[in-house]
This record gives sequence, C-alpha cells and structure tokens, in this order.
Amino acid sequence: MTLSFACAVSHAPGMTAWAEAAPPPQRDCINGGFARLKDELDASRSEVLILLTSEHWANFFLDHIGAFCIGRAAAYRGPIEPWLKVDKAEIKGDPELATELLEASYDEGVEPSFAYELEFDHGTMVPLHFLAPRMDRPVVPIFFNTLAAPQPSAKRCLAFGRVVGKVAARSPRRIGIIATGGLSHDPGERHHGVIDIEFDRRFMAAMAGGEVRRLARYSRAEFAAAGAGAFELLSWVALAGALDGRKGEAIVYEAVKPWATGIGMMAFPDAAPAPQVSG
Amino acid sequence: MSLYALQKLIRDVNRKPACRDAYFQSAETFAAGYDLSAEERAALVSMNVGELYAMGVHGLLLRPFTLLRQMPEEDYLKAIRGGPQ
Repeated sequence: MTLSFACAVSHAPGMTAWAEAAPPPQRDCINGGFARLKDELDASRSEVLILLTSEHWANFFLDHIGAFCIGRAAAYRGPIEPWLKVDKAEIKGDPELATELLEASYDEGVEPSFAYELEFDHGTMVPLHFLAPRMDRPVVPIFFNTLAAPQPSAKRCLAFGRVVGKVAARSPRRIGIIATGGLSHDPGERHHGVIDIEFDRRFMAAMAGGEVRRLARYSRAEFAAAGAGAFELLSWVALAGALDGRKGEAIVYEAVKPWATGIGMMAFPDAAPAPQVSG
Repeated sequence: MSLYALQKLIRDVNRKPACRDAYFQSAETFAAGYDLSAEERAALVSMNVGELYAMGVHGLLLRPFTLLRQMPEEDYLKAIRGGPQ
C-alpha cells in the first residue's frame, strides 16, 4: 500500500487572480485549509502526484474530445492564463507511471485517451501553487471532460478512479492523488454567481462518508442543476473510487460570492498508513 | 447547423495569437474562413453576445472571447440573460 496522500480541492482562479475580493475571514479559512493540506502532503513524502483535473478548452476542442486523457509528457508548462498571478513554471511529468495507468485501465475495461502534449491552466496550477509551490514533484495529469456534453457518468468516473487507486496502491513508490474542481458554479453561463450551498454540503458529506454508491448515482442532471462547473466534481468522484470507500474530512467549505463558487476542501488522513520509520 | 464552426472560430481567437491578430484586424475577413451561416456571421461581426449565446456558444468559450474586448461582467451577464441585444 503506497497511496501516500489524497485530497480534493477547488481550483477557482479567483483564489489567486482576485484573492483580495473575498472577505478576509473566508480567505483565511481557505488559506488555512491549503496550509493544512500542504503540511500533510509534505509529511507524506509523496514522490509523485496524480492530478485528477478538468479541461477548460485549453487543450481540447470539439474536433476530438474523450472522457479521460492521461498525460504522458516528460514535462508540462503552465499556467496559460497571464492574469492568474501564478508564476509560469515547468513541471516534470512521469511517463512511466502514465503508461502504467493506461495499461491498467485498458486491462480493467476503461479506455482513457493519452497525450504527449498538455498545457496546464488554473484548474491544475492553482492547486499546485498552494499545495506544492516548489513545483518539484513529478506529476501525471488526468484530464476529465467536464465541459462538453455528454460528460462521463459518475459511475464510470468511480470505476476509473478505482483503477487509479489500484495502480497507486501496488506501486513501490509513494503516490499522492489530488482531485481538483467544483463545487457549484456556473462560469460564463446564465447562473454565474449562483452558489448552491445545499448541493455542495450534500456532495461533500457523501465524499466524507466514503459513500461510493451514492456518489456513483449522481446524474448529469444533478450536476447541471448546480451549474456547469459542478461537473468538475467528477474528478472528486474518481478520487472516491481510488480511495474505495475510505472516509475523509470536509475541512473547508465557503460559499465565496466574489469568486462565484462554492470552495471546498477534503482531507483523507486515513488514505495511507503512516510512513515507516526505519532504524 | 454550423455551431461547431462558430465555436471553432471563437476558440481559435481565444487560444491562437495569429488568429486573434487577424480577427482584430478584420472580423469580417477572418470569419470568411469559417463555414458560418449568415446569422452567425452577423452576430459575430456585430459582437451580439446575447445572440451568440442563444445560438449555443459555450460559456467558457464566449466569456473569454468577450474579455478580449474588456467587456465588464455585468454587461456580459445582462447580454446572455436577456437574449439578443
């Protein structure tokens, strides 16, 4: 068992680009959540991170779009947004682990696509900025189609996540998994600014309880009712699959009006056994 | 019918600097390179945001597209909520 770390966090660009717009108590709470998760990640001695993240038309268009795409590049660059207030960086990839994930997925009956060139936008860079600011751990990004209908079903994301969890668990290396996105928001759409606090809290409660059956039942209609951006929570569902029912803790929830989204963070302190101390 | 081409044009302008330059030089000339209907071309050239949204352009394509022209959020939301301008 070498799944060393797991968490789920929102990736709203406002967290860095217009951070000052949020009320200070909310900002403090969110920064505190990131600080706790960063400490947990550092303590986990994770050697590589699998990033379950969202596509925002940065890499793909409707000429060719798949449900999941695993990055096999030796390095990635981001952010693509010059206004994000996150320094541009190059982040090492891990093609070997990416290939292992692909092969395991195919063996288990899930067929993600793969890409040797992918760029990172706020969906990946904002969480890395807070959780791994030195950008020195290799990563394998897995992009979820969360924006072009039909999005993959929650049930399918859970099954894919189970494969990712199995690969992490049997690896001789210490692997961390970070899911990014959500919660309720409707960017660029008619209900931009509307935050569905009840939906967010229910979803986080299901994540905290490791309620994989409930999570697998989330329908496209349920996500859509919480805003187009709520589909990003499919990556959280995949994380729940990777954790296979292990319980977590909702450490932050704030409905941040100026960022037009519900911001949530989940910790999974029981995701991995404590590192063995030798000698 | 040609929503795909319309969205492709907008995505090209958002993501490719050369396309962006060409679009800002002449939206009409640039649009001629895409298989758009007369209505789509007119909405694009006149920057009728409400009409573009009503035609089905994805919000995460349309909003960044309007930001290239520094359209304030309030105006954008008014346009997409109110339908054609």
